[in-house]
Amino acid sequence: MFSTVLVANRGEIAVRVIRTLRSLGIRSVAVYSDADAGAPHVVAADVAVRLGPAAASESYLSIEKVIEAAKATGAEAIHPGYGFLSENTAFAAACEKAGITFVGPPASAIEAMGDKIRAKQTVAKAGVPVVPGSDGSGLSDEELGLAVEQVGYPVLLKPSAGGGGKGMVEVHRADDLAEAIAGARRVARGSFGDDTLLVERLVTTPRHIEIQVLADAHGGVIHLGERECSLQRRHQKIVEEAPSPLLTPEQREAMGRAACDAARSCGYEGAGTVEFIVGSDRPDEFFFMEMNTRLQVEHPVTEEVTGLDLVELQLRVAAGEPLPLTQADVALRGHAIEVRVYAEDPAAGFLPTGGRVLAWEPPTTVRVDAGIAEGGTVGSDYDPMLAKVIAHGADRDEAIRRLDAALGRTVLLGLGSNIGFLRALLADPDVRAGNLDTGLVGRKLDELTAQDLPSDVLGAATGVALLDLEPAGDLVDPFDIPGGWRLGEDAWTTRTLVVSGHDPVEVRTRGRAANAELLIGEERVRTSTAVSGTVSHSQGGTTRGYATARAQDGTLWIARDGQAWAVREQEALDASAQADGAGGPVLSPMPGTVTVVEVTEGQQVTAGQRLVVVEAMKMEHVLTAPVDGTVRELRARSGGTVAKDAVLLIVEGEADGS
Amino acid sequence: MQRTTAAPVLRSTIDPGDEQAARNAESHRSLVADLNSQLATARLGGPERSRARHVERGKMLPRDRVDSLVDPGSPFLELSPLAAHGLYDGDAPGAGMITGVGRVSGRECVIVANDATVKGGTYYPMTVKKHLRAQEVALHNRLPCVYLVDSGGAFLPRQDEVFPDREHFGRIFYNQATMSGLGIPQIAAVLGSCTAGGAYVPAMSDEAVIVKNQGTIFLGGPPLVKAATGEVVTAEELGGGDLHSKVSGVTDHLANDDADALRRVRAIVATLGPRVAPPWERRPTIEPVVDPSELYGAVPTDSKVPYDVREVIARIVDGSEFGEFKSEYGTTLVTGFAHIHGHPVGIIANNGILFSESALKGAHFIELCDQRGIPLVFLQNISGFMVGAAYEAGGIAKNGAKLVTAVASTRVPKLTVVIGGSFGAGNYAMCGRAYSPRFLFMWPNARISVMGGEQAAMVLGSVGNTDEDAIRAQYESQGHPYYSTARLWDDGVIDPADTRTVLGLSLSVAANAPLADKAFGVFRM
Repeated sequence: MFSTVLVANRGEIAVRVIRTLRSLGIRSVAVYSDADAGAPHVVAADVAVRLGPAAASESYLSIEKVIEAAKATGAEAIHPGYGFLSENTAFAAACEKAGITFVGPPASAIEAMGDKIRAKQTVAKAGVPVVPGSDGSGLSDEELGLAVEQVGYPVLLKPSAGGGGKGMVEVHRADDLAEAIAGARRVARGSFGDDTLLVERLVTTPRHIEIQVLADAHGGVIHLGERECSLQRRHQKIVEEAPSPLLTPEQREAMGRAACDAARSCGYEGAGTVEFIVGSDRPDEFFFMEMNTRLQVEHPVTEEVTGLDLVELQLRVAAGEPLPLTQADVALRGHAIEVRVYAEDPAAGFLPTGGRVLAWEPPTTVRVDAGIAEGGTVGSDYDPMLAKVIAHGADRDEAIRRLDAALGRTVLLGLGSNIGFLRALLADPDVRAGNLDTGLVGRKLDELTAQDLPSDVLGAATGVALLDLEPAGDLVDPFDIPGGWRLGEDAWTTRTLVVSGHDPVEVRTRGRAANAELLIGEERVRTSTAVSGTVSHSQGGTTRGYATARAQDGTLWIARDGQAWAVREQEALDASAQADGAGGPVLSPMPGTVTVVEVTEGQQVTAGQRLVVVEAMKMEHVLTAPVDGTVRELRARSGGTVAKDAVLLIVEGEADGS
Repeated sequence: MQRTTAAPVLRSTIDPGDEQAARNAESHRSLVADLNSQLATARLGGPERSRARHVERGKMLPRDRVDSLVDPGSPFLELSPLAAHGLYDGDAPGAGMITGVGRVSGRECVIVANDATVKGGTYYPMTVKKHLRAQEVALHNRLPCVYLVDSGGAFLPRQDEVFPDREHFGRIFYNQATMSGLGIPQIAAVLGSCTAGGAYVPAMSDEAVIVKNQGTIFLGGPPLVKAATGEVVTAEELGGGDLHSKVSGVTDHLANDDADALRRVRAIVATLGPRVAPPWERRPTIEPVVDPSELYGAVPTDSKVPYDVREVIARIVDGSEFGEFKSEYGTTLVTGFAHIHGHPVGIIANNGILFSESALKGAHFIELCDQRGIPLVFLQNISGFMVGAAYEAGGIAKNGAKLVTAVASTRVPKLTVVIGGSFGAGNYAMCGRAYSPRFLFMWPNARISVMGGEQAAMVLGSVGNTDEDAIRAQYESQGHPYYSTARLWDDGVIDPADTRTVLGLSLSVAANAPLADKAFGVFRM
């Protein structure tokens, strides 16, 4: 076994790999970019090496710097985690050249499976069923069009070099094809440095079921059963579980056998995942989608039902040991389910959020793999996944119940997350019943992302504002005493509370935190708010606990039942800062990079016309003209970095011109 | 903070459950209920129609302006809310103006807000008096002044009572200039009209804000301009926010609306820096141990019924702790040291009519407070000095004069609450309005006149006036606290239960001004 291993990754997966290294007595080496100095994975490791600036290309994706760090720290092996260099054959080759063990399959296997076209050919030869699609690589736009004709709509455009669904585009009509190809190529180029696309038939109401395989250098290949990852949004997995509620033991065995065949067909070693697509209407049929030649994000659910440590097994195989178990030794126990907690705002089209983590209290009753810490900052440099929460139960119901309860106790303040959305998803009757398919989330998106603004949250936020007014210290001046004392009758204090995605709400208060009258819109309630660690707020006879934190800009973050709200008090507008008339500034919806500027200064535009494309966290956001008018003060430039709410340009409405 | 020596704690001797207490309480409750109803009416401001029109124009009502200007949830010590009560056919509730002391961006400020819903915010005689009194409060306590201007200027039908004299309209601007000269900031927000003389309020201010398309400042309005020169201009062109912020420079900040203007005023006050340290040491506040809620029951509302004034003191001072001075001497005047909301105070309270000994004791006690820099609180319930040959021969006039001299010339802040009668020379000796207490408040059961109605009827009867009932009725009406407060003989009628709060706030206000040098007049020996 190795004595020192470098983890060429960041975030939760780096922390998770380091945990196993520590339990095996192996010295761990972390690497980090400037954006991650002091990040949890850096703190967790025995040694940490700075790679470079925040940009992944100059840090986590720099083969040269990672190899250098490994040499400098005497690492004998590199664990690549997932993403970044995990499926990069050049990196695997560079490791080999440097005499460092790459914890993963041989470069030849990565290459065979990394190119999806070749992968299909390879496994098809071994008798594994595949979805009809284009073969051959490097198709031109015209050739892609022809391939689409042959396969038949609906089709899926996939970056040849990508993984995890990133950059995939569904096309249902020939009209949309040209723009879809252009967009998919741009994302592929930006994310993977390779804009090669391939096309395949889109299986409708499909379920995503994948098999975890393990292979050693001595010919041993076993599978650890399946994971179902059908709950996805835009091909990004959200919820993963094991086992699949769909499969019978016979199907499991058939798919497991096919997966092992696929692994053998490319001379696989280590931990890998063979992804299949299964039509909900025909569960007995399955098609090979692709093989991921790395540890998957969702590997913990397999660990929970098998009791195995996949990272440990990866390390043993990489060290040349034979697999310590046979297929017969693999037993599945109970049910495990995982959700991915993302820094994104489901109510605002899942825009990435980000910000300073003011509070992070993960649940203690279930497994949590997290890569964030209080006081840290979640920026736009990397993937917005913050943590995975994994629950295990005797059966599926119990696992879901535990997971939901754990999410309800999770506190994350300072940035928006999808926890409320995840809980809504886990409460969905179809999800509870196991009637899953990859289109479920998309179909129910509106109801799943509807974020309400409960009156008690506004009341508690107001209660916190009242608590803030309570005087501190020994010497209390009578003018310090809140409560709005007046001759005759105490005064009401009016606050206008703003929560993103909702209309501003006027809240009037009279009295002090411990005993106040509130008028929340039209609703009149009596409240009492106190703080000792957490905020306790009583309203209309119900007392609840809330986690709260105040951001530097004065925004109050308040959370209960896993959901968090950012409540801001509205300030009067500054006359000189406000533009006259209609139209107005077009703001960047998030921190990111301008990739396309489609207009020029002074250009006439019509409402809805595309103006600028901003990319952040590998997602493209197209900004369109709010009104008919003229482009003024064009500040956005292609390649430029922009902050959230940065003014990109101004569309001067036709009525404004004077 | 270390509490070194605690003064003795007063105990109440009354039984809150007995019949007398119940009668007292009932009587106070009915007086306070009436007071609250008068206050509620005055608080509304002008007629409903005017208020609706005001709000339709996007303007905030003056009370909402004040509430938005002061720090959220902070107290506002309003002054003379019942000014002009019963005057001008009831056309001018509150005299068309809100004044008081409130905390803005952490600083106590005097706030003067015109109520445009009352006759366009024009100045009646009592409006002028109220404005000048607010400025006097600012001057004595060195408080920044914030003027929320929305007024058509002098009320023209009564120009002879508001324009020409020393304490009339012009004095407002004189005060602004002289206070600014003393380093007392003058800040104005023009939220509506600011016509003629009124134009000088923002113009004389150190810093001024105006609301665009709403505030106007001009010496002569459009009709006057047309009459004078034939020029036809709109009010906005003549003196709107744009003109004054971009062209004339009469105002310094252009606000969007009322809320924006108030926010800007708060920002201006935030630049004034912290208040000075209090001239006396404060200590942590403790609530009275004798239940303040029993005050109603403890005090008879008829000033002719005697009671121990310590029942009042016990319910307004911190911890009910009262370190009495000369308790065995001159017992009709109670003097002693206490704290109210952490401020040290010397309390002087009547417990009967004033004799020579009481007067000497009072003068002595004022000298002690003056030497120690402790503010004075007068609890006034006095029918007068003792009369009679023996007392005149005993020099009660010169001994009374010693007390009056001490009251008039002490350098420490004085606060007066009239909790019962305020008659004759007793009013002077107990720091009536003429002795410039920083604040003077009255309880609803108080009475104030040169002598009692009964005595006046007798005295006037003896010189030939025979309609004694009419005289009694006149004295009762003119001695009523509403009559007093309508004419600004006081700073307001307060609920007795609010006394501790009002005194605490008043002391905090008074603590904004440093103490002057000692300067007592000659005490006739």
